[in-house]
Amino acid sequence: MEPVLVAQALNALYGIASLAILALGLAVVLGLLGVLNLAHGELVMIGAYCAYVVQAQGWPYLYAVPLALVVCGVLGYVVERWLVRPLYQRPFDTLVVTWGLSLLLRKCAEAMFGLGYKSLTEPIGGTVEVLGATYPRYRLMLIVVSVLVLGALVLWYGRSRTGTRIKAMAGNPELARALGIPVRRYASATFVVGTCLAGLAGVMIAPLAPVQPFMGLDHILMSFFVLVVGGLGSVGGLLTGSAVIGGSNSIVSALSDGTGGYFCVLLLAIVFLWLRPRGIHARS
Amino acid sequence: MTQVPFVPARRRILSAAAGTAVLGTGWVGSALAQAKEFKVGFFIALSGPASLFGPTQRACADLAAEKINKAGGIMGRQVKLIFADAGGPPAETAKSAVRLMLEDKVDLFIGSHDSATREANIATIKGKTPYIYSPVYEGGECSPNVFCLGETPPQQAQPAIEFLAKEKKLKTFHLIGDDYVWPRKVNEQVKKFVAEYGGKVVGEEYVPFGAPNKFEEAVTRIKAAKPDAVIATLVGADNVNFNRTFAGFGLDKTIARLSLLLEENTLMGVGAENSANLYSCMGYFANNPSDAAKAFKAEYMAKYGEKAPQLATIGADCYSALNLAKALFDKAGAADAKKLAAASEGLVFATASGRVTMRGRQVDKDMYLAQCKGTEFEVIKTLKAIKSGTACRA
Amino acid sequence: MRAASAAVLALLLLPFAVGDFWAYQLGLLYLYAIAALGIGLCWGRTGFLPLGQGTFFGLAAYLSGLALIELDGSAWLIVLLPLAACASGLLAFLIGVLVFRRRGESGPYFSMITLALSLLAYQVANNWESVTGGFNGLKGIPGLPGLDSYTAAYEVAAVALAVSAFGIAWLYRAPLGVLWAALAHNERRVVLFGFDGNRLKAVAFGVSGLLAGIGGALYAPQQGLVTPQLCGFGLSADLVIWAAVGGRFRLLGPVLGAVLIGALTSGLRDRFQFWEIGIAIVFIAVVLLFPQGLIGIFAPLERRLGRRPAPAAGIAAPARRDPGGAAKLLVEGVHVRVGEVTILDGLSLALERPGIYCVIGPNGAGKTSTFNMLSGELAAQAGRVSFDGRPLARLATHRIVRLGIGRKFQIPSVFPALSIADNVAIALWSARATRLDLLRPRLRRWTSPVFEALVARYPFLADAGRTAAELSHGERQILELSMALLGEPRLLLLDEPCAGLSPQETAQVIAVIRWASERRGATVVVIEHDMSLVRELADHVFVLHNGSLLAEGTVSEIQGNVAVKAIYVGAEK
Repeated sequence: MEPVLVAQALNALYGIASLAILALGLAVVLGLLGVLNLAHGELVMIGAYCAYVVQAQGWPYLYAVPLALVVCGVLGYVVERWLVRPLYQRPFDTLVVTWGLSLLLRKCAEAMFGLGYKSLTEPIGGTVEVLGATYPRYRLMLIVVSVLVLGALVLWYGRSRTGTRIKAMAGNPELARALGIPVRRYASATFVVGTCLAGLAGVMIAPLAPVQPFMGLDHILMSFFVLVVGGLGSVGGLLTGSAVIGGSNSIVSALSDGTGGYFCVLLLAIVFLWLRPRGIHARS
Repeated sequence: MTQVPFVPARRRILSAAAGTAVLGTGWVGSALAQAKEFKVGFFIALSGPASLFGPTQRACADLAAEKINKAGGIMGRQVKLIFADAGGPPAETAKSAVRLMLEDKVDLFIGSHDSATREANIATIKGKTPYIYSPVYEGGECSPNVFCLGETPPQQAQPAIEFLAKEKKLKTFHLIGDDYVWPRKVNEQVKKFVAEYGGKVVGEEYVPFGAPNKFEEAVTRIKAAKPDAVIATLVGADNVNFNRTFAGFGLDKTIARLSLLLEENTLMGVGAENSANLYSCMGYFANNPSDAAKAFKAEYMAKYGEKAPQLATIGADCYSALNLAKALFDKAGAADAKKLAAASEGLVFATASGRVTMRGRQVDKDMYLAQCKGTEFEVIKTLKAIKSGTACRA
Repeated sequence: MRAASAAVLALLLLPFAVGDFWAYQLGLLYLYAIAALGIGLCWGRTGFLPLGQGTFFGLAAYLSGLALIELDGSAWLIVLLPLAACASGLLAFLIGVLVFRRRGESGPYFSMITLALSLLAYQVANNWESVTGGFNGLKGIPGLPGLDSYTAAYEVAAVALAVSAFGIAWLYRAPLGVLWAALAHNERRVVLFGFDGNRLKAVAFGVSGLLAGIGGALYAPQQGLVTPQLCGFGLSADLVIWAAVGGRFRLLGPVLGAVLIGALTSGLRDRFQFWEIGIAIVFIAVVLLFPQGLIGIFAPLERRLGRRPAPAAGIAAPARRDPGGAAKLLVEGVHVRVGEVTILDGLSLALERPGIYCVIGPNGAGKTSTFNMLSGELAAQAGRVSFDGRPLARLATHRIVRLGIGRKFQIPSVFPALSIADNVAIALWSARATRLDLLRPRLRRWTSPVFEALVARYPFLADAGRTAAELSHGERQILELSMALLGEPRLLLLDEPCAGLSPQETAQVIAVIRWASERRGATVVVIEHDMSLVRELADHVFVLHNGSLLAEGTVSEIQGNVAVKAIYVGAEK
């Protein structure tokens, strides 16, 4: 097979995988709790800065994972408890509050690290031959890790009791509460999981993207489009949305240029939102 | 339709009265003149993504002001800098311009920001106060009472292509840039010079400005096309992202890259392991070997010491802008637009890199070609007195 | 009214007190405030959030700028500038019509579409250099002819703001505004009164686009430059934030937000490096602590200033334009399936004569689903339904209602946030108000003979002071029943009208139902579980089971029916 085609196919895979892993935290929070967390991108940014800190100290890159989980987890708990919980019945207000939060987080990152771009070294550098094409190792690893994480989440959510309980809570909170499911605790835990996943995604993409306080803004937009196209409330929806948005962006960019890819994404998002507003895989 | 400047008659009467007083009372008069400051409304990025440069812009401006004041100020008056934020939407900056005009009554504007903000400011100020626009830009700004000292596309393209085509003997070029006016104007010049030096442009593409761009697809396409060199007119995060992706795919070993808005901060973001075979062409680098540049750097470090914000062209241009202001106003002797324009023609003044000449309210200057070594620039070629390519009538 | 005139006068005189720079700044902020009014209309009033108003602001600004450049000084501008604003309004309306096609699409999907559109608009404005001037913007736009100073530009903006505010205030008082507010809380009910909810939302969006267009059209001559940033997400987000912080539920909240926060931002941004932190904290604090927004602080003052209008005399509502005679309903072999579940399985029934029919059956038999199918909310895969010989097959719900079918829900579905009088008014407008009528505030004083009769029985129906939320459950049932009757439908579908009522209330409701059937000649179909009520009311009974008609007849016939007894007591094995 033509090396270019192999490389572009891998690019498409990478685009889809990175979109999926970045949108995952948002999917969890929006799909299960109905909360529009506009600070999601900033949590990714915080994860990336955790990776930077770890690398700056000279520690092995993997240490960034627990650091990001702890930082984002604590942040998620605090945010859910004091900012989001009073506003569950007012979805538009969570939008404004999380917007303000994202501003705050950006400024904090700016105060702590400055505005300059931080450059991280890929923990696994270099390229490798795949079916005749030379492809960067780290991106391949990201694809693999994303698949594993998504797969693990799907299995756990589908099979475990906690998963079932969370589904119940998402579907009918009053009934769930009546059945003795600790709704508040699960809601808090779900939000924390969402923020931790965001932080994890940040750690994963940190060596590939320019790390600076404004990096979150790029990801929040694409994540929202992925979710509304694919459908809220299921991992299948997340994957479908990532495939559609990431795949089309990749293919059109490969054929023409970046502007074409971006227009394609916007138009697709609009068309999907218009014709299939529940997304492809909607929760019925 | 010009807006009537408010109460002009009153101002004239006042200045006439002041003038009489000065003539009449010798040293009291000169004391009055000295006490009246020369106010400069200085636009720098205090918010938004560009606020990365804010600290060095402010530091260089303060350094210049201090130096100028020690030497007697501008037209004998002490310079006072009033900073305003240009990092928000153009309409906001224009509002600050109005405030500086009406309330602070500044004598001069200096702007270190993007072109859209420049257009907004100029549209609002309408030439009533002189405006010095300092950063690198797309050329062609000839609005009355506006003076530009940044690099223009011909000044960047010519030395760059000459180096790549003639010295490194590279023949095929791929152009990639952000989709807005500056990269497109630069690429026009690049294509012209490539043709002149017998090369060929094998690809030209643009990515949407302000969108979250990824470059894997572009890099893969470039890899398949196998040009000798890539000329990038990407800015900011796009520039960093592209260069990292390019090197990540291993192309840095075989294809040279020239990035036309690559300065120290961006290079930090690109990272040492991604900067092989990467060149830049600008009017100033922190490692500029010229005597003037070394002296400037020494002064800057002496004043700010350990915590000095990273030196870069955008800050150095702020320093140069104040020098231009002093040379211009001292030569013209008055704040009159016609006198300033006349004084500017052929005016020679000192910038952070060396001395330059102003012609047609643009600047002819030396350009420096640098190669990246790790996260530092090493200037490998100096091209003298490149013309700005814009000829504004006075 | 006097307070409003004084406020406008103060507004116009302000620049002479505050000087030229503030005149310039406020002039710009007023234009943003006009656009923010539109966000208040959509979001605070009608319940959907537009995230891309920059598109309309920018479009009108570009059109206005181009017109000013081409025709500088011409008299045509008097027409062209308002047309630029109208272009934005029209575009918004068209988008609204296209997007609001399905029931209940007000949520994040609409917001995301508007967001994507504004991103697209930004790219188009950025790239279409020959027309828009690209990234550097459309420059050299002359000011408005004859208006040279900052003060003059301010006055134009102030007048535009005052006119817009008064216009929107009038719309809010008109039936259209009441319907918008009703849509925000209970869209389904609005539709079941015969109003095209989607079209109303599109109109709201169109008006908000017009407001943004007014701001944009005046922006071009005031600034002299139009850049693509206006179309993008930045301005759109700012407008939403200003509306939220100022208070989106009140008319002037967004105006207050735009002016106050806009001025604060401008003042702070040059002086403090971390001014954005201050702004962020203000947002969070306002949302958490003052959900009504900053204007909520002025609410007590407003209550004291505002005089309660004296109750005005009622105006007779025009009569319904109905074919006379008894309603004829024919249902033939209707199958309804949702997903895997069959809800109605070959249901057939016929109503020829006026009277009271009762529908009974065990839970899950499909009784409420039958009503949903009749009112057009549930699509049938097979079978025919005709009303007065007219097929109902693909008609939208609001059209079906207009044919003369009214409904009352099992759980009382009224408009809790509106006053009782407004609830009643909406019912009176049902199938009577023309499109143009919706713009006339005097329609809120409509009354009809049916209304007079109902008010005589239940005086609380005329109360304009209390909201429907303050009623007890029983009162709400009666309110909804009255509202259903006020529409004077010829076929009235009542779903357990006595649920949760005390015995006295039940007796009253029965009396009303009888009155409706006998005096007004309506055909009433009642879903009931309580056999004693069925015995009292029913002329004819339908028994539903597993989605089809098991048996029908008089009450005694049904009670003697073996099959009916079996399904109630339990089938024999």
